[in-house]
Amino acid sequence: MSRSADPRADIATERGAVTLQAVTKRYGDQTAVDALSLDIQPGEFLSLLGPSGCGKTTTLRMIAGFEHPDEGDIQISGRSVLGTPAYRRDVNTVFQAYALFPHLTVAENVAYGLQQKRVPKLELRERVAAALEMVQMRGFADRKPTQLSGGQQQRVALARALVNRPAVLLLDEPLGALDRQLREEMQLELKLLQAQLGITFVFVTHDQDEALSMSDRIAVMRDGRIEQLADADTIYARPASAYVAAFVGQQNFFDGVVAPDGAGVDSPRAQLRPATPLSGFAAGDAARAAVRPEFVELSADRPSGNVNIASGDVIGVSHLGEMLQFLVQLDEQTAVLSRRPTPDAPALSVGDRVWATWRPDAVQVFPAGDAAARSGYVPPPTAAQISDP
Amino acid sequence: MAANDDVRILASRAAAPIVRRELSRRGFLAVAGGVGTTMLLAACTTPGGDPAPAATGGTLENALSIYTWGDYDAPEVLEAFTSEKGPRITLDSYGSNEEMIAKLVAAKGTSGYDIIVPTGVFIPQLIENGLLYKLNRDLIPNIEHVDEAYLGRVWDPNNEYSICKAWGTTGFVYDKTVIQRELKTWDDFFDAAKNEASGKTSVLDDPVEITGIYYWANGIDWDTTDPAEIDAAEKFLLEELAPHISAFDSYPGGAAIPQATHALMQVWNGDARLGIMNSPDPDRWQWVLGSPATELWMDNWAISASAPHPEAAHAFLNFVLDPEYAVAQIDYIGYHTGAKGIEQMAEEAGLGMLDMVFFTPEQLATMQDGEINEAQERNVEIWNKLKAAAGA
Amino acid sequence: MRNLRLPGFALAIPAWVWLAVFFIAPVGVVFWYSFGYKPGLFGTHANDKLSLDRYLEVLTPTFFDTFVATMWIALAGTALCLVIGGPVAYWMAVKSPPAWRGLLLALVLVPFWTNFLVRTIGWQVILAPEGWASQAAQAIGLPAFDILYTRAAVLLGVVYNYLPLMILPLYVAFDRVGEPLREASRDLGANRLRTFWRVTLPLARPGIIVGVLLVYIPLMGDYITATVLGGAKGNMVGQMVAAQFQTAQNWALGSAMAVTLILVIVLSAGVVGALLWLVSWPMRRANRLVLGEVGS
Repeated sequence: MSRSADPRADIATERGAVTLQAVTKRYGDQTAVDALSLDIQPGEFLSLLGPSGCGKTTTLRMIAGFEHPDEGDIQISGRSVLGTPAYRRDVNTVFQAYALFPHLTVAENVAYGLQQKRVPKLELRERVAAALEMVQMRGFADRKPTQLSGGQQQRVALARALVNRPAVLLLDEPLGALDRQLREEMQLELKLLQAQLGITFVFVTHDQDEALSMSDRIAVMRDGRIEQLADADTIYARPASAYVAAFVGQQNFFDGVVAPDGAGVDSPRAQLRPATPLSGFAAGDAARAAVRPEFVELSADRPSGNVNIASGDVIGVSHLGEMLQFLVQLDEQTAVLSRRPTPDAPALSVGDRVWATWRPDAVQVFPAGDAAARSGYVPPPTAAQISDP
Repeated sequence: MAANDDVRILASRAAAPIVRRELSRRGFLAVAGGVGTTMLLAACTTPGGDPAPAATGGTLENALSIYTWGDYDAPEVLEAFTSEKGPRITLDSYGSNEEMIAKLVAAKGTSGYDIIVPTGVFIPQLIENGLLYKLNRDLIPNIEHVDEAYLGRVWDPNNEYSICKAWGTTGFVYDKTVIQRELKTWDDFFDAAKNEASGKTSVLDDPVEITGIYYWANGIDWDTTDPAEIDAAEKFLLEELAPHISAFDSYPGGAAIPQATHALMQVWNGDARLGIMNSPDPDRWQWVLGSPATELWMDNWAISASAPHPEAAHAFLNFVLDPEYAVAQIDYIGYHTGAKGIEQMAEEAGLGMLDMVFFTPEQLATMQDGEINEAQERNVEIWNKLKAAAGA
Repeated sequence: MRNLRLPGFALAIPAWVWLAVFFIAPVGVVFWYSFGYKPGLFGTHANDKLSLDRYLEVLTPTFFDTFVATMWIALAGTALCLVIGGPVAYWMAVKSPPAWRGLLLALVLVPFWTNFLVRTIGWQVILAPEGWASQAAQAIGLPAFDILYTRAAVLLGVVYNYLPLMILPLYVAFDRVGEPLREASRDLGANRLRTFWRVTLPLARPGIIVGVLLVYIPLMGDYITATVLGGAKGNMVGQMVAAQFQTAQNWALGSAMAVTLILVIVLSAGVVGALLWLVSWPMRRANRLVLGEVGS
């Protein structure tokens, strides 16, 4: 296959493209990144999502040039950067704790990168002013970083990186230190900024909401590998594994066996039947079914049908603003979580006997052998696990 | 005390590390004595308060506190006192007379020390400031064992306050491999310093010892206050001696002689003896007593005016003057203790290089007592100028 | 009920009391004595007549010469400690494996486990003409060397005794700059050298100043190291001060010398600081950026 015949080959050499080929990084006998391959498109907003220790930060630091892979190749804009030191790479980083220079003013911080490139003074001043304008920090130019709030420091760090017009901007959990409201504001701004500038963003986070709200694609990482690489919708709606399912959003899990007819999973408290029959499973195989809380409906009267239904007692009701959340205990071991939009939520209270139902297309089935959701990684609390003694 | 015991002590002392000697009596700590400590001390006033209880020969107190030069008494002597007489001894040490005086003055009679060991020239100052206890000589009959030659010195003519503890004199030591002629006098010392030993000469780090060389060499009274004589000494020392001095070292016996750092060194006799004994090649060194004149310095037993245990202090003085302990003391410190017949006892005990401890009556006649007088300020000034000139 | 909470500065009271009793009061006493005189042979000081005469007595050519020699040794010793200790501290804080750092710090402090004087005399033994260093040199065919009682020996001793005082604050300073800031600098296109000059060094400056003062100030007053190893070539002004207090028993003149010494140390530290500030001025100017009205 010739290069020109493959459109991806052209994209991969464009400015802003990042390619990782079978990159491995070890620390002693620990493998932090394990033969990881990844193509990032120019201008793409890609998130590396995973718990701490999954290798996402190491991957980012290898792209930045602070760590060097033991095996594999890293290309930026189509060129291998293995021999290129960090200070000569066409990337800039927004660091987790901002890493602003405390002895320089805001303007001097932003000018730092341009001074290294010996940008003429006049141009430098204009670019610094523009970059500060862009993050609405123009009025703080002569302050020292210690005189700024966390959100303001965050903006300065962003301006300091972007003023260099890098091919790729690397962001290492940049919003982690901000309070929730500010974080949501910044998520929105970051996304707008990225769309406006067209620069490739590689965004490292352990926060699924951040990843879901901003990314073009999300790479969910686990133990130094990519578990699933897809856009937000796919990751959310069709997780490739129970691990991804558990990590992104919340889940009700039901452990059981594949029904004799292969149509679904039979667990002690419910028979779960997806919209299409299972493939790749044999009758009697251990399996794990998952239903997201927002697909679980509750009613006081018994609905018709015997599958995708379970009964229990309401043991908790909580208000999430636009949603009401109900916790329904099925038996001593199992509870399910249900979220209903506040306007059409059923009028239920603790102690009520209810029926929980869900649509077949809400049911996802994973092999039971995939125990990651339990061991090694503790997922966000799911209803099924809340009641675990 | 058996003779073989003394030999054992001698052997163990010879083997003792040089550094330990450096820190001992008249050792390096004298130089190191901190300005800081001195500066903290308060005004110099006559101690007030009640006089200490008189010593009448009553029962001994159960403790005794001795404030003396570091490493200046044989431990077995102190132990023997405690086991025979009872009082437990607490030892504290100083590195210079000034340090000891400052402490006594600052404490204003509450220092808690019983026995102190000032050098003779400081005794008039101590008496004038009321810091010394008038001895009850009835309680110290053993003073009869002290050679009359070392009693009745100028600073305390009737030994009302003090009794000789040890004394020494000044001369020089030279390296015969560098200076291959015989040196005999202070004039020879100057000549060798200017020639073979130029840049390899050290003098004692003490103002009166340095000006002393000039006065002793030229038959001038060491204690002169005549400005013309002092000016002449300054001129000569600055012009003739300073360019050839490489160190101001009060204890060349500690390191300079064993390590052959210098070729010509002004030195006190006991220190010279120690250095030559510690040298890997003792025959290389020649000791010369200063001539035609030199000094005699003497440290003296005395009791603090505020002594809390005067009975025990008198008992100790009497005890330590007993001839039974004279050899142990001389072996330990290497200086003449002033005891009668000690030369013979030391010879019988087999101590070495005794010609550097004991001197003939003719030599003794050439040794002068020092004195603290109006010339002190000028002496210090000359000393500072010499140092600046030699260090340039 | 009234609230009996202590004000915040109460925490600092013990430190202030300590300073007042053990620093300010003695210095005040010395200052007071310096206006007095020595009353007769056996007195050390009196203050019933006050004058500046002692200060006139201090300012002799001897004092000046000795002072210049002292300053030379102090400045050269401080510079050597900085030149030698700087890279060591940088290596320890930045380049050494973090697991070693505790051990390395302990090793820096090892000399402090021994008495200061004994350590210095130890060097005298090593450097003597027939000492170990000379014997080792001769064993490998070099000529016997004799640096004891030279300025070189003084500087060797100074570096040995004072290096930890330089390394420790520099280590803390370099360590506090932190890897993230150096990474940020490299990320922004500065190589290691530029990163050192523009990030590490400016941020470590307070530590460097502390280290320099910690070496320079005690060194100006120290005469043990210099005299033990330098002999006549290690004549220091501190010795003149000590001589007035001890041998001459003239506390008034000694105090005037001490006060003069303190003033000159403060002054010289200020002059050196001002010089450094002036020298670095062009660089700071080049990197300064005031946006003013540009682009707005």
